[in-house]
Amino acid sequence: MIRLNHLPTLRIKPGVPRSFTYGRRRLQGVEGDTVATALFANGVRVFGRSLKYHRPRGLYSLDGESSNTLVNVDGVPNVCAETTLLADGMCVASQNAFPGPDFDALGFMDALSWAMPAGFYYRMLHKPARLWPLAVPVIRKMAGVGTLAPDFQAPGRRDEIYPAADVCVIGAGVAGMSAALAAAEAGLRVVLFESRPWPGGAFEYRPGAARDGVACFQKTAELAAAVKASPHIRLFLNAPVIGVYSNGLVTAFQRGRSPHPFDERYIEVRAASVVVATGCIERPLLFEHNERPGVMQAGCAHRLARTWGILPGRTAVFSVGHDPGLEAAVDLFDLGVEIAAVADLRQDGLDPALVDALSRRRIPLLRGWSATKAHGRRRVAKVTLAGANGRFRKTLDCDLLVASAGFTPVTGPLTLAGAKLAFDERTGFFLPTCLPPRVHAAGRITGRQDWHAVAASGRLAGLCAIQDNGIDQTAAIGELADALGSLPGPVRGAKFVIAPDSGKKTFICFDEDATVKNVDQAMAKGFNVPELIKRFASVGTGPGQGGIPGHNLPLYVHQSGASPDAQPRPTTVRAPLTPTFLATYAGARLDMSKRTPIHDLQVAAGGRMERLGVWHRARRFSEDVHSREEILSVRTAVGILDASTLGKFRIFGPDAVKVLDRVYVGDMTRVPRTRAKYSAMCNEDGCLIDDGVIVRTGDNDYYLTTSTGRAGVTVEWIRYHTRFDDWDFGIVNLTDAYGVINLAGPEARAVLQRVTDADVSNEAFPFMGYREFAVGEVPLRAMRLGFVGELSFELHVPASWMAYVWNLLMDAGKDFGIRPFGLEAQNTLRLEKGHVIIGSESEQRTTLHDVGLGFLWHRDKPWARTVGDAALRQTEHQPGRLKLVGFRMADPSASPPRDGSVIVDRRIRGYVCTARYSVVLKEPVGLALVEDDSSAKGAPLAIYEDGCGGRLIQAVVTETPFYDPEGLRLRL
Amino acid sequence: MAFTITCPICGPRSGYEFRYGGQDKGPRPDPAEMTPETWCDYVHMTDSCPGVQKEWWYHRAGCGIWFTIYRDTTTNLEVSPDSPEAVA
Repeated sequence: MIRLNHLPTLRIKPGVPRSFTYGRRRLQGVEGDTVATALFANGVRVFGRSLKYHRPRGLYSLDGESSNTLVNVDGVPNVCAETTLLADGMCVASQNAFPGPDFDALGFMDALSWAMPAGFYYRMLHKPARLWPLAVPVIRKMAGVGTLAPDFQAPGRRDEIYPAADVCVIGAGVAGMSAALAAAEAGLRVVLFESRPWPGGAFEYRPGAARDGVACFQKTAELAAAVKASPHIRLFLNAPVIGVYSNGLVTAFQRGRSPHPFDERYIEVRAASVVVATGCIERPLLFEHNERPGVMQAGCAHRLARTWGILPGRTAVFSVGHDPGLEAAVDLFDLGVEIAAVADLRQDGLDPALVDALSRRRIPLLRGWSATKAHGRRRVAKVTLAGANGRFRKTLDCDLLVASAGFTPVTGPLTLAGAKLAFDERTGFFLPTCLPPRVHAAGRITGRQDWHAVAASGRLAGLCAIQDNGIDQTAAIGELADALGSLPGPVRGAKFVIAPDSGKKTFICFDEDATVKNVDQAMAKGFNVPELIKRFASVGTGPGQGGIPGHNLPLYVHQSGASPDAQPRPTTVRAPLTPTFLATYAGARLDMSKRTPIHDLQVAAGGRMERLGVWHRARRFSEDVHSREEILSVRTAVGILDASTLGKFRIFGPDAVKVLDRVYVGDMTRVPRTRAKYSAMCNEDGCLIDDGVIVRTGDNDYYLTTSTGRAGVTVEWIRYHTRFDDWDFGIVNLTDAYGVINLAGPEARAVLQRVTDADVSNEAFPFMGYREFAVGEVPLRAMRLGFVGELSFELHVPASWMAYVWNLLMDAGKDFGIRPFGLEAQNTLRLEKGHVIIGSESEQRTTLHDVGLGFLWHRDKPWARTVGDAALRQTEHQPGRLKLVGFRMADPSASPPRDGSVIVDRRIRGYVCTARYSVVLKEPVGLALVEDDSSAKGAPLAIYEDGCGGRLIQAVVTETPFYDPEGLRLRL
Repeated sequence: MAFTITCPICGPRSGYEFRYGGQDKGPRPDPAEMTPETWCDYVHMTDSCPGVQKEWWYHRAGCGIWFTIYRDTTTNLEVSPDSPEAVA
């Protein structure tokens, strides 16, 4: 198609082609086209088929008000062709039509509409119930809008930004830009959102002159240039607002531009003041077959020509109810469209200049007339017009019917912000009666349609926004309000009209194929409020989010007299105001994780890394999932483990010990300088949340470790539980500042002695001792602990020296057969010792007593008001609790039950926490939480494992530790 | 969390930065005067009244302090501690 390429309002570059495919056709658009305009320019008139009746649907609007133009683009279903900019190489396909939209095999559905009254799905298909599963796949197939492959990967990248702003303006039309400029002139930071790919709004393409004689589009372009030049305004184009919340929070998403149309960015702004200048959309005219391809709104027809250089039709009939509709008729005539007639709903109040322009062009104007029926099977071929009382009729040939009942304001953001709306008789709009603090409405949304009045109301809102930011504007606001009073006020809107013979095929909602007759049926069923009818008859619940029926439904219900309200009442609006990819809400999948200082060394040593919480940790160092070699090397020689993920903290200050006594169950007043004290933290319920060691590194100076999972919340926990006490202490998170090496095994001392001058003999550095010495000149903190049940040294090394010390120990240990071991080996080793891991051997309800660590609790420190102390007293002898026990298999050659298997008799009595085959003991051992009456030594446990087929696994409660019960090996 | 919280050190910040610490119920009761019931109430029970309540917040993604604000739970707006509604 040849484009009009001389218009100053064009947004396309006619010389820059963009090629794409549509079904099997290879087509060409130009830069600046949306998918919809490119298809339209290539002669596509039927874009798709409707949801229920498979009626042909075409281009009706240009801002995604309906689902008419939903297409599949590059495998992504339900892409709105109207708002997606064309990119080179796009693959576009139609939806819900087979073999294609022009001829659809299910087109006969339209003739069956009588069988699908309002509430069809609710009423018809649930009795008998067994029909429903049969019906669902059929309905899905017939009434789908797009399909998604199960392995579908959403294309595009997503991110999110949180720009700072003093003023947030929604809508970059004349009012929005005026408001933004006013605020920017006062030096405020302004964020300006525009859903279209360019600023300008309703005046951006209109050639008509404003009151000062300059064309509207020109004046608008000047404003846009000023906005662009302002350093204080951040303009987001292609960015529809999706939510407005209290306290000035506005959320939007920005669609990607060519060549990345599926990139989306979530934007969240909190501003001291919000200006809503979203303007208007057109209110659909209701008549029979009002959604036939070839019927479109006035703005759509006008913009196709003015913005994209496409003539919307050859011969047009206009049936409108507003001056811009008349302006469009005049302008399209001048651009080469034949206009058969212009019908206007209004008897009077038409702009005399436009009436004059029509008559000069010999275009017949029918006042008080409107379209009552569109004819034509797949496209409009004729239209019947009728006078107000329906007596006079006229049928005209045409291939374009421009139909619009007038304007309706886009009030979604205002409603979300908390504004109360009421019906206004003069404009026919729902206008805000009271606005929440620091929210302002400006522009056409208030009913004004004159360029200067719209600009002035925008500027006024801008001044109010400045005032909200604490800069006095009282004088300027008063002055401008006076000036605005002398400009044209809100325009009288056309009355709600519906042709008397319409109903069966008069669509009030295109997305859900809901007709006026469906609304009548709903009202006949007793639904009398638009809010309920909306749901029962599915009016405005589709992708257009009420863009088509949002205003007509309340007006129609009100006119019918069914509504109990004195005035029409709008239906509720909710976020998101515009359909958004779920992927955009999910955001970028940033996998935030941490690596220990010797991550690479472990990988080089064959470590199989896995994610545990935020950390990457080595699970094992060989193919063997049981890590037998690693276990044996710790038990018989020496092993080395990276335990850097342990939480590490310093607490210091005169009240540090009070803090420790508050959160730890033990008595912290007598921690000697040379000993490590093992203790635990409970929550208020006495349940075990953490364990670790505490050492005193100086006067009023302590160093403590927590479990890996608690490292992130320990500071918060400690500060919370001391928040009422004005204690003098400091706490520092050293988790990332220190790495930890655990050197364990009978040869551990020999290895350590090779790399240090310090005396690490059993006499000089006994079990549970704490020492500070240097290894290869690196000062470190060493503790003799025994989590894995062997002689072991826990070395806390400054993070940057970890690799050095690790390598030093590996070299020194070569002669002793040192090898790194991973979490799997550690898990089995500590299990053999009966040591607990919080989270494995405990759950939310497990107290200190339940896991057998009650001995850590110092019951006589009431002064400390220890967290959990009261609950520990109450639960100490409480019956019926799950207790931690060790168990062996009745048949030692059986394999260990899977972790988490339940213990049953007639009911569930507990569950297996951890069970492993012990290489050293040559039989499986495990720990389980079981009800206290089954926890005595020798009690039988019957374990139900997933997939055991009802054959319970028999085990017996035994004492722990399984390995080295006297603890001699720890003290070697 | 579509609201801001005023940290006494960092000023008004996005609610995302904070962790909620519950209604302010005063310091821990003296263990000597405590029954299991009063203790349970102290730990677990809150008033859950619509309106202004004094509550604890932790500036997790900020300075790391616990502090109290008065918040109207029906509007999520902070109320000045000096205002007549602000009773703990």
